[in-house]
Amino acid sequence: MSNLLVLLILLPAAAAVVCYFVRSEAVRKAAVLATGGILTLAALGLLAQGTVAPTEVGSFLGIGSDFLVAVLDFALLGVIYFYGYRHKSLLIQGFTLAQVVLLIWFELVMVEHESVPALAGDQLSLIMVLVVSVVGSLICVFAIPYMKKHEAHLHLKKTRQPRFFFYMVLFLGAMNGLVLSNNILWMYFFFEVTTFCSFMLIGHDATEIATRNAVRALWMNALGGLAFVIGMMLVYSQAGTLNIAALLALGPTGAVMLTGLAFLCLAGFTKAAQIPFQSWLLGAMVAPTPVSALLHSSTMVKAGVFVVLRFAPIFAGTFLSTGVAVCGAFTFLACSALGVGQSNGKKILAYSTVANLGLIICCAGINTPLALTAALLLILFHAISKSLLFLCVGTIEQAIGSRDIEDMRGLYGTNPRTALITIVGILTMMLPPFGVLLGKWMAIEASADSNIFIVVMLALGSALMVVYLARWAGSMMGSREPDAKAESQPLLTRLPLMTLSLGSVVLSLASPWIYNSLLAPWVGSEPFAVGFGSLESAHGTFVVVPLFLVLGLGLMYAVKAASGYRRVKIMPPYMSGANSVSASDAYVGPMNGDVPFSSGNLYLGELFAESKLTPVFNALAVALIVLMMGGAL
Amino acid sequence: MQTLILVIIGLVGAPLLGGLIAGLDRRVTAWLQSRQGPPIMQPFYDVAKLFGKEKMVVNQWQILCAWVYLVAAAVAVALFFAQGDLLLIFFVQAIGGVFLVMGALSAKSPYSQVGAQRELLQMLAYEPVLILVFVGFYMVTGSFSIQAVWAQEIPLLAKMPLLYLALCYALTIKLMKSPFDFATSHHGHQELVKGVLTEYSGPYLGLIEVAHWYETILVLGLCALFWHTNVAWMALLIVVTYLLEILVDNTMARMTWRWMLKRVWLIGMGLGVVNLIWLYAR
Repeated sequence: MSNLLVLLILLPAAAAVVCYFVRSEAVRKAAVLATGGILTLAALGLLAQGTVAPTEVGSFLGIGSDFLVAVLDFALLGVIYFYGYRHKSLLIQGFTLAQVVLLIWFELVMVEHESVPALAGDQLSLIMVLVVSVVGSLICVFAIPYMKKHEAHLHLKKTRQPRFFFYMVLFLGAMNGLVLSNNILWMYFFFEVTTFCSFMLIGHDATEIATRNAVRALWMNALGGLAFVIGMMLVYSQAGTLNIAALLALGPTGAVMLTGLAFLCLAGFTKAAQIPFQSWLLGAMVAPTPVSALLHSSTMVKAGVFVVLRFAPIFAGTFLSTGVAVCGAFTFLACSALGVGQSNGKKILAYSTVANLGLIICCAGINTPLALTAALLLILFHAISKSLLFLCVGTIEQAIGSRDIEDMRGLYGTNPRTALITIVGILTMMLPPFGVLLGKWMAIEASADSNIFIVVMLALGSALMVVYLARWAGSMMGSREPDAKAESQPLLTRLPLMTLSLGSVVLSLASPWIYNSLLAPWVGSEPFAVGFGSLESAHGTFVVVPLFLVLGLGLMYAVKAASGYRRVKIMPPYMSGANSVSASDAYVGPMNGDVPFSSGNLYLGELFAESKLTPVFNALAVALIVLMMGGAL
Repeated sequence: MQTLILVIIGLVGAPLLGGLIAGLDRRVTAWLQSRQGPPIMQPFYDVAKLFGKEKMVVNQWQILCAWVYLVAAAVAVALFFAQGDLLLIFFVQAIGGVFLVMGALSAKSPYSQVGAQRELLQMLAYEPVLILVFVGFYMVTGSFSIQAVWAQEIPLLAKMPLLYLALCYALTIKLMKSPFDFATSHHGHQELVKGVLTEYSGPYLGLIEVAHWYETILVLGLCALFWHTNVAWMALLIVVTYLLEILVDNTMARMTWRWMLKRVWLIGMGLGVVNLIWLYAR
């Protein structure tokens, strides 16, 4: 059993080494594909076997694995310190040194080295492993043709792909390690590995702006690492154990423990890019698109929400819990608002990611079975839909040379396949009966129990999100010439896109069964009863399968009606009767000349300007975090 | 079985009743403007005529979007008559709103583009208000399901009067009435031609008209839930509310989206929040 766990962690690491040292394109491609395939199978195998009780890992070559992790930990901190020194960042150096000092004290003085089962897999871990291994692998597969084109575009003399795939694949292993850890020190180690991988990937293109943003990501996440160490020490000083399973059984035991948990939540906040830490994730947009997809959907930020969610059962019903919920809800509202003012497709996705993570953290804070179910559903479906959308933007960018949604107007006319998949991706992010909305529905129903501020923030945020997603999807629709050819996509581009878009729809349909087999056992008391493919609770009912059937039939009829449009008279759009005779998208202007028509979205700059709102939101968020941390005391 | 019958009644009855209300609306509006007005059945004649017209579109997306709008509106009404979950009904009707906007955006026409942007702003204004109203339902009945309303002894209006006012605010937007009709230009030729509907014509405009009737019944149904204990009072409440909407429609000038967003968020949500605080405090 534990072999499978070790495989999930070590195989990516081994494949990463192969990618790095064997400088052959074919080998690299084979290694990435094989790793993706095996990881997917291993994750599904783990799912089939069910949960794993905490297990010992044993030793490698006679060296105890705990000791090995401790050594690697200090080595990693040394490397991070080195990069902080090289980029002359005092923040990174300071945060790293503090971690080293505290960690030495912790390991040598505080911890009495009991033997702690290092790995375990409950349902939460299983879902995360699935997300990491399946979605993450698909992104790595997508990166193979993408990076080839990317480097061709940059005219690199020497390929940097070995390094790129080293960190991409290693990232998957680190994430699997993080979510499967039962020893909090192991969790901390993998937490730091993800920080380091993201730093190297953000700075991959080695331009000035890439380096600057990578350094910012590193110092913010080093702060998170420091918070993790402090939290870990405080929790240990109270609980006296490194065993997470034992911690979860313990429950809240006073102010010091809660403060420790608050620090762990803060670490989660930095990693999940919650306001005021959102700037590192937005800066990460300079990296090649597969990196963004990986960071936003299956790794990095999901590590942040995972940490909060992992410890959520311990602080249920405390003020800290309310604080976490308010912070999450505020991020949901603020980032939804910031997204309205954006026209850069990747930035829109980034803000929507941070907003959705806020919603997940808010659910973790509400901390009822209903809310925790919502959080798990959101993690799962957000990963699928968001990775799909990022990969779509990457494909579009390589096709039209822009990531601005204004330039994507009428994309269906030239790139129908990509446009269709993108529209599907956007719809699965915001409309019923798809999974993300199912999660949002649960979140709002759960929030009605908790706190009026949270309800209002969720209500506003959810409306704001519809605005920027709907207008993006709509503007990609457009006319297409009758005999126009569809664009061609390489197999390794189309495979991940098709898999993810199918997955987002099919898994949504299966959500009642996913709930029954995976979510309900973790949440404990079951908030829902499943009947007729519907999720029924005391709060309300979401008729998943019936809605799928009815809306699906309706959509099929609509598609059939629309596909007969060649029999319908195609007219030029209305231009007050002054349509140009020669061009379909122009009207007759002065001197009988053609004036092409153009239009743009309303970005509501006066209300939702990023530069104006960000400082205000940051200040408010800092206040809320202080409130959350202080309330734990 | 009973649910199924109710759903069928809803699906068949809603557009008939909605069309009738649209006809009455035109009569009362004409009366307010000292005109004669068309026969009450006029909306049905109009739609029948639309269905008989030649099919013309800018592109196929409009056909798709018009149909999905109708389907979503009908499903939302069906869920309402099946005593379903209020929040889910709201999200299903939002599908219609989103597809209407996307269809308008797919056409390269200045009028439909501007109309679509404005329609999005209207959704931005009324959606949070509606969610707060539904949370109010939850606070009173302990469930988001309509079924739970019938177990209440006294009308909800007694416990959530301010939320009812907030709902009326949202209703004015949803019914596309002045001062909030800037996405569709309810009255004749104004600066926006027909906004979000500009590029829909013939049978497809007919579909949208029918979908709008469904939506009218849905929002009036929501209002009706506020006095579920007595059918006579319920009817009176709806009639008074709708007459008030017509009066507002005819006495107010159309406003800009800035005016709307500020008013609706401040007053509409303000009313909602105050009322919710009462309910929380209980």
